[in-house]
Amino acid sequence: MPEIIIDGRAVTVADGVTVAAALMSEGIRSWRTTRIAGNPRGVFCGMGVCFDCLVTLNGEPNVRACITPVEPGDVIDSQQGTGHDGGVS
Amino acid sequence: MSGDPLDATERDVVVVGAGAAGMSAAYAAARAGCTVTIIDANPVAGGQYHRRRIDAATYRPRGCDDEAVWRRIHIESATTVYAVEIIDHGTQRIFGVRTRGDDRHRRDVDLVRARRLIIATGAYDRPLPVPGWDLPGVMTGGGAQALIKGSGVLPGNRVVVAGTGPFLLAVAQAILEAGGSVAAVVEANDPVALRRHRSALTNVGKAGELARFITSLTRHRVPYLRRHRVTRVHGDTTVTGVTLARVDASWHATPGTDRFIEADTLTLGYGFTAQTDLPAQLGCTLQVSADEGLAVTVDDDQATSVTGVYAAGESTGVGGVDLAGIEGLLAGAAVARSLDHPSPLRDEPALRRSRDRMRAFADALATAFPLRSGWRDDLEDDTVVCRCEEVPAGRIRNAITELGAHDARTVKLLTRAGMGWCQGRVCSLAVDRLCPRSATLDGQARAATRPVAIPVPLGAVADINLQSRRES
Repeated sequence: MPEIIIDGRAVTVADGVTVAAALMSEGIRSWRTTRIAGNPRGVFCGMGVCFDCLVTLNGEPNVRACITPVEPGDVIDSQQGTGHDGGVS
Repeated sequence: MSGDPLDATERDVVVVGAGAAGMSAAYAAARAGCTVTIIDANPVAGGQYHRRRIDAATYRPRGCDDEAVWRRIHIESATTVYAVEIIDHGTQRIFGVRTRGDDRHRRDVDLVRARRLIIATGAYDRPLPVPGWDLPGVMTGGGAQALIKGSGVLPGNRVVVAGTGPFLLAVAQAILEAGGSVAAVVEANDPVALRRHRSALTNVGKAGELARFITSLTRHRVPYLRRHRVTRVHGDTTVTGVTLARVDASWHATPGTDRFIEADTLTLGYGFTAQTDLPAQLGCTLQVSADEGLAVTVDDDQATSVTGVYAAGESTGVGGVDLAGIEGLLAGAAVARSLDHPSPLRDEPALRRSRDRMRAFADALATAFPLRSGWRDDLEDDTVVCRCEEVPAGRIRNAITELGAHDARTVKLLTRAGMGWCQGRVCSLAVDRLCPRSATLDGQARAATRPVAIPVPLGAVADINLQSRRES
């Protein structure tokens, strides 16, 4: 079972899950705020089409959480706006 | 992974998509003697219907069980085709297939050459906007299924499944089987129309599946509300409930029938949109399908209007996993024949008959669950329609009534609706249907034309030879 870090907190998640599923199994439903209104977003299409579930993964912003499998040691951070304006919490 | 490493060598066939259609097509072509590479965006093969955990057994379509054939097929998973072009227009006909790694490896771009192309890119959910649908906790039915099938995670604790079509039943069933709770299934149409197709249901072996879904709902005491629609999603930072209303045949809510249901999750889905990005790039003829969406036009051999390009499965019109598999086999066999290999299929005429019967049934089903317009009444001026660019309904209406926009393309240019990350995949149907000139083949095809299918590094865009896409 991979150990990962979600917003600074170490957690162990099930094998073979996506980043989105790892977040949701931790009870987290939103990990991004939008560029304009700052509204919370999480999984919407769940299959890589809509780009709503963007997350910062190992320092790289705008990764689709729904189609990216978790790897041991992953550092997952929620992101704000474009993901490029230092908005990582 | 199996087969040869992907290198600069040319393949006879590149299949895009590793769902039922793509895997069946690859198997048929490889069995006949073609060299085949499958390119698929997901971490493991299976597509949407056969989506599975990464550590699960490898997907094999029914009847495609000769492992010696699979060892000759190269599957490039976690890889997206962002553009296709025609490198050689002559009798040799060489396609350039430009790929990008998954989001961890998105700067890894590559070019694969192929003599034939089989498009098996499937479909994605077709949601419609409703106030509050941008709250976390609202997702598509396919998205909910993907969480369950791919990761074993429930979409929420108490789910309302809404939209139209038999897929709602499949979503509810998947949630119940995974131990979740479904508050209601909310169907905008009246499936009583399905009775007219009872013999067709039996004919294509779907009656049993439908009966199982209904038994499951009954056992779990899940209300199946026909002619109802979710007209509002409640919540501040996440879903806390939905308002339902009874609707007429045009989906207009009947005043005084509002009712609140507590739920933490809503799934939405009004059918599916066929993934036609690559055939649109190549200039393949598209058509309006029975469900009023777009589909790639194919002939009896699954060949598109562009020589050397074939299509199978949902990209040719949404019809379900069994039809997709048969279309895949036929496409693979046709490609093999075009490269002077004998057909690998024992009884091709019988497969063609099955395909035609299942396609006719799919079209009848689409007619029984049509798309109506009453959902537009729900939209308030501040209801987000384009989720990426955060364009509210009021600004779209203003572009139409004040600025004179007649079609989705003009609305897009005036408001940015459809210009964001998803390139209009989620909102283009709604934007189109809000316009005075809507539901036209031309309008929908324009919205579905995406010269680059997913974001890639700028240098990779510069490499694409757009001119090559014109037939010489």
